[in-house]
Amino acid sequence: MANVAKKVSWSGRDRDEDDYDEDGRAGETTPLLNGTGPGAAAGSRQLTPSSFLRIGQLSNVDLNEDVHELETELPRQRPNEIPHNEKLLSLKYESLDYDNSENQLFLEEERRINHTAFRTVEIKRWVICAMIGILTGLVACFIDIVVENLAGLKYRVVKGNIDKFTEKGGLSFSLLLWATLNASVVMVGSVIVAFIEPVAAGSGIPQIKCYLNGVKIPHVVRLKTLVIKVCGVILSVVGGLAVGKEGPMIHSGAVIAAGISQGRSTSLKRDFKIFEYFRRDTEKRDFVSAGAAAGVSAAFGAPVGGVLFSLEEGASFWNQFLTWRIFFASMISTFTLNSVLSVYHGNAWDLSSPGLINFGRFDNEKMGYTIQEIPIFIFMGVVGGILGALFNALNYWLTMFRIRYIHRPCLQVVEAMLVAAVTATVGFVMIYCSRDCQPIQGSTVAYPLQLFCADGEYNSMATAFFNTPEKSVVNLFHDAPGSYNPMTLGMFTLMYFFLACWTYGLTVSAGVFIPSLLIGAAWGRLFGISLSYLTKGPIWADPGKYALMGAAAQLGGIVRMTLSLTVIMMEATGNVTYGFPIMLVLMTAKIVGDYFVEGLYDMHIQLQSVPFLHWEAPVTSHSLTAREVMSAPVTCLRRIERVGTVVDILSDTSSNHNGFPVVESNPGTTQVAGLRGLILRSQLIVLLKHKVFVERANLSLVQRRLKLKDFRDAYPRFPPIQSIHVSQDERECMIDLSEFMNPSPYTVPQEASLPRVFKLFRALGLRHLVVVNNRNEVVGMVTRKDLARYRLGKEGLEELSLAQT
Amino acid sequence: MAPLRWLVLLPALALALGPAAAEGSRRLPALEALGEAEELAEELWGAGLPGDLPELEPECRQLLADFAEGSAALTGCLGRNARPVRLCQACHRHYRQLLVQYGNIARAVGNSSESHNCAKSILTSDRLQIIVTLSDFFNETWEAANCANCLKNNSEGLSNSTVEFLDLFNKSLTCFEHNLQGQTIHLSPNNYTEVCKNCNETYKMLNDLYNNLQKMNRQGGESGHSAHLCIDVEDAMNITRKLWSRTFNCSVPCSDTVPVIAVSSFILFLPIVFYLSSFLHSKQKKRILILPKRIQSNASLVNIQEKYS
Repeated sequence: MANVAKKVSWSGRDRDEDDYDEDGRAGETTPLLNGTGPGAAAGSRQLTPSSFLRIGQLSNVDLNEDVHELETELPRQRPNEIPHNEKLLSLKYESLDYDNSENQLFLEEERRINHTAFRTVEIKRWVICAMIGILTGLVACFIDIVVENLAGLKYRVVKGNIDKFTEKGGLSFSLLLWATLNASVVMVGSVIVAFIEPVAAGSGIPQIKCYLNGVKIPHVVRLKTLVIKVCGVILSVVGGLAVGKEGPMIHSGAVIAAGISQGRSTSLKRDFKIFEYFRRDTEKRDFVSAGAAAGVSAAFGAPVGGVLFSLEEGASFWNQFLTWRIFFASMISTFTLNSVLSVYHGNAWDLSSPGLINFGRFDNEKMGYTIQEIPIFIFMGVVGGILGALFNALNYWLTMFRIRYIHRPCLQVVEAMLVAAVTATVGFVMIYCSRDCQPIQGSTVAYPLQLFCADGEYNSMATAFFNTPEKSVVNLFHDAPGSYNPMTLGMFTLMYFFLACWTYGLTVSAGVFIPSLLIGAAWGRLFGISLSYLTKGPIWADPGKYALMGAAAQLGGIVRMTLSLTVIMMEATGNVTYGFPIMLVLMTAKIVGDYFVEGLYDMHIQLQSVPFLHWEAPVTSHSLTAREVMSAPVTCLRRIERVGTVVDILSDTSSNHNGFPVVESNPGTTQVAGLRGLILRSQLIVLLKHKVFVERANLSLVQRRLKLKDFRDAYPRFPPIQSIHVSQDERECMIDLSEFMNPSPYTVPQEASLPRVFKLFRALGLRHLVVVNNRNEVVGMVTRKDLARYRLGKEGLEELSLAQT
Repeated sequence: MAPLRWLVLLPALALALGPAAAEGSRRLPALEALGEAEELAEELWGAGLPGDLPELEPECRQLLADFAEGSAALTGCLGRNARPVRLCQACHRHYRQLLVQYGNIARAVGNSSESHNCAKSILTSDRLQIIVTLSDFFNETWEAANCANCLKNNSEGLSNSTVEFLDLFNKSLTCFEHNLQGQTIHLSPNNYTEVCKNCNETYKMLNDLYNNLQKMNRQGGESGHSAHLCIDVEDAMNITRKLWSRTFNCSVPCSDTVPVIAVSSFILFLPIVFYLSSFLHSKQKKRILILPKRIQSNASLVNIQEKYS
C-alpha cells in the first residue's frame, strides 16, 4: 500500500480510469481479458469485518439474525483458492455510470445553459461523429497500406529464396528463413502487446462488447491501446499468423471515438479544452458505439452492418437520433477509406475499395442461385454450425490452459513465436508435398510459387498458404472453377482450422473474422466441387458461390452474430439477392452451434470472468427476490457526514464500494433513517479534494462554488483516495452531501423478483440499485455483479462465485 | 453482352471461313463469296421491288464492300494463325486496315441527301447492326489477345522487345531441333539429356527475357495497360516451357526431402515441449474466492445447484 501514494497523482497516468482497485498494483500489471491477474501477492487479504465503519442505521432490526447467520457461516471451509474456471466473476471490473446524477449542480448547469447552447452541443455531436469516421477510415488505410507493403516484401524475399533453392537444393533453408521471419515479426508484435498493453490482445470485440454492455474494462479505450493495437495487428498479419485485421478495426474505432469525444488525451497529457460537455460515461458510451460501427464499416465496407453491429451489441441504451448519427459516422468512415485507398492505388475518384476486405463482385450470371440450391445452403449452415462449435470447444480448452498456465508475459511471447513458426512450417510442408500444379497463364496469383511444378505452372497450395489471409479468401471466392483440386482444399481446410483455432487467444492483436471466412471458403469450395462431381453434369454449381456460403456458415458458427453479420456479408459481397441465403445459413449455423457451445466472443467474456449482463435474466429465476440477490449490509453515509468517516470508508480496502446511499442525518440518535439519495465515490473524492466542508463555508471564505465542470475535469481517471491529504483537523469537519448527491436514485422493494430487478437495471444502465423496505430504509444494494452471478447453466440456475483475479 | 455478340457472329465467321477452307486458294475467297451475295441482292431488288426503295449510295456501298473485304481478310488471318498463336504478328496490318475502313464508314457523309449519310444508314438503321457487331468483335478479340502490347506505340510493326523475344524463341526451337536430329527417332522418353545440356543457355535466356518483359509490363500496368503480355509471346513461351519441362523433362528440381522433414519436425516438436514444460513447471494460476456479503436464505438454495458443497 505504501507505494501507492507516491505512484498515483491527480493526472493518474499510471492508474486505470478510476480503477481504484484496492492495491495500486492492479492497474498496470493487470493484463485484462488475457489471463494474468495481479499475482497471488494480494492473496492473504481477507474480508475483514469492518463493521466499525458502518453506521448503525443500516441494520434493520429483523435483519440482524441473518447477518449473524452469515457471519457464522463464514468459517465453513470453502476452498479459498481455486484454479481459474468459467464460473467466476472478477472483482476487477466495474460498471459504467450510465445513469445521470441529477443533483443540484446539474440542475444549475441546465438552467445556465440556454437553448442555443444545447443546439451547439447537438452540432458538436455531429462534428465528433464525422471526425470519428474520418480518423477511423484513415487508421484503416494506414493498416492496409503498411500490411500490404510489408507482407509483399516478406513474400517476395521468401519467394526469391525458394526459387533459388529449388534449383540448387537446400529448401530447408528456405523453410528456416520463412519460419524465422514469421517468428521474429510476431515476436515484436507479441512483445508490445504482452508487456505494454495486454488489453490490446485479441480482436477486441469481446472487450468492446463488454464496454457497450456497461462494463468498464480498464485501459480499453486509451490512446496507448490504440497505438499498440494498430502496430500489433500489422505485425501479426505480416508475421503470417492465421489472423485478420478486421476485428481489431472495431476496437480501434472505439478508441478513436472515445478519445475524440473527450477532447483530450490523458496518455499524452493534452487537454484541448473542447467537448467538455461530453466528459461522462453516458456520452462517451454513445460515441464508442459510433466508433465501433465506424470500425466495422471500414473493415468490411459495410456501413449498415456497422450500425447494426452496434445495435446488436449495445441496444439497451439506444435511440433513433443516435442511430442516425452512428450511421453518419459509418458512412464517413467507409468513404474516407475508399477515397484514400483509391488515391493510393492510383485510380483516384474510382472509389473501388470500400473496405479492408473486398469480397469482390458477385454479380455475374453464374453466381446467381436457384431455389433448388437453398436446401443445400441450409445443409452448409448445419456443417458450419458443427464446425464452429468444434472450433469454439477446442479454443475453450486452449484458453483455459492459457489462463491457468501461460500467464507470464515472456511465456506468452514465446508461445506466439512458436505458433508463428509452426504456421510457416505447416504452410511450407503443405506446399512442398502438394503436387497440384495450375497453369500460370490467366491466373491472378500474387506470388506464384513454382517449386516442383513444371515451368509456367504454379503450386496451387501456395496460393492458399503463401499469401495474406484476405487475399486467399478472395481467391477462393473468385478463382475460376478448377483452380484448386479437392485434395488441396481438404488439406488446407483441415490444417487452417487447427492453426486458426490455436492462434485465437494468443497475446497478439488479431481478429478471427478472416480466418473463419477462409476456413469456410475452403470447405465451401470443396463442397461446391464435390457437388458438381456428384451431379456428374457440367459445372452447374460455381464453386465460388458455395465458398461464400461456406464462409458465412463458418463465421456464423464461430461468432454467432446474426443480424449484423448477415448485413455485413451482404454489403461486402455487394449483392442484395444473397441476403436471403446468407440469412438462412447464418440462422442454421447459429441454431446448430448454440446446441453445443456458445459463441466465441461470449465464451471469452465468460472465461475472463466479466460480469456481463445478457438480454434477459435467467428464465427460471422468478422465485429469487431482491432480498436474496442484494448485497447487505450497505455502507451508508449521513446527509451531513463527518469528513473522517468519509475518508475512512473510502480508504477501506476491503469494501471498495462505489456508490453510497445517503440517509437522513439524525445526529445523536441511532434510529434508522430513510433513504435520501445516492452519492458516488468519484463525487466524494472530488469533494474531498476541493475541501467542500461545512465549516469552511461557514468561515465565509471567498470560495468558488463547485461546479459540474470540476467533476468532469477529473473524469475518467479520478484520483485514488490515498492521494488526497486530509489533515487531522479537517477530519473533524462536516461535509454536506445534499447538494451533490443524486436525490432520486432508483430503488426496488425487497420483494421484487430477480427478472424485475434485472430489467430495470439493464434497461436503464444502472450501476447501483438500492433495495429499500416499506419504510424507505436502505436494506441492501444491487450491483452488476449481484445480477450477473445468476446464469442458466446445463443443470438449471447456477451461481457464479466472486473472485479476486 | 459479350457472349451474345459471339453468338451472333458465329454464322458470319462460318460464312467467311467456309469457302476459304474449301477453296484454299491464295486469293481472297471471302470477298468472292461476299460479292456473290451482293449480286444476288441486286438481282432481287432489280427484279420485283419498286424503284423508290431507299437505295444505298454508291459511295456507301463501296465503303461497305471495303469493310466487308477487310473483315474477311482479318477473319481469315485470325483463323489461319490460331495455332500456334501468331495473331498479333500476322494480322496487325489487317486489323489496322479494318480500323481505317470502319473509321471511313463512321465518318463518311453521303452527298445526295442531307438526312441520309452512310454512317447512319450502315451503322444504325436496323436492329442487328451487323457492322458494329463485327467491328466490336474484332476490337474485343484484339484487346483480349493484348496485341497492343507487342506492337509499337503507333501499332506499326512489332516492338523491339517482341522482335528480340521471337528471335530468341526461334533460336531455341532450332536448337531443340538440331539436338534432336542427332538422335534416333525411337528414343526412350526420358533420355533428352543432350537437348537439356545444349539448349540450356538459350532456354534460360528466353525465360529470363520473358520474365523481364513481364516485370516491365507489370510496372507499366499501373498506367492503364493490362497485366498480360500479348498472346503471341505468352503462347510461344508456353510452348517452349512445356517442351522443356514436360516433353524433355529438363527441369528436374533438387528435392531434398530429408532435411526439410528434419527441420520441420524439429519446429513442430517445439510447441509440444513448450506446452509440456509450462504445464509441469509453471505455477498454476489460482483465484482467490471472495465471499459475497449477502443475506443467506434457504429459498435461494432450492433454486441453485450448489456446486461446491
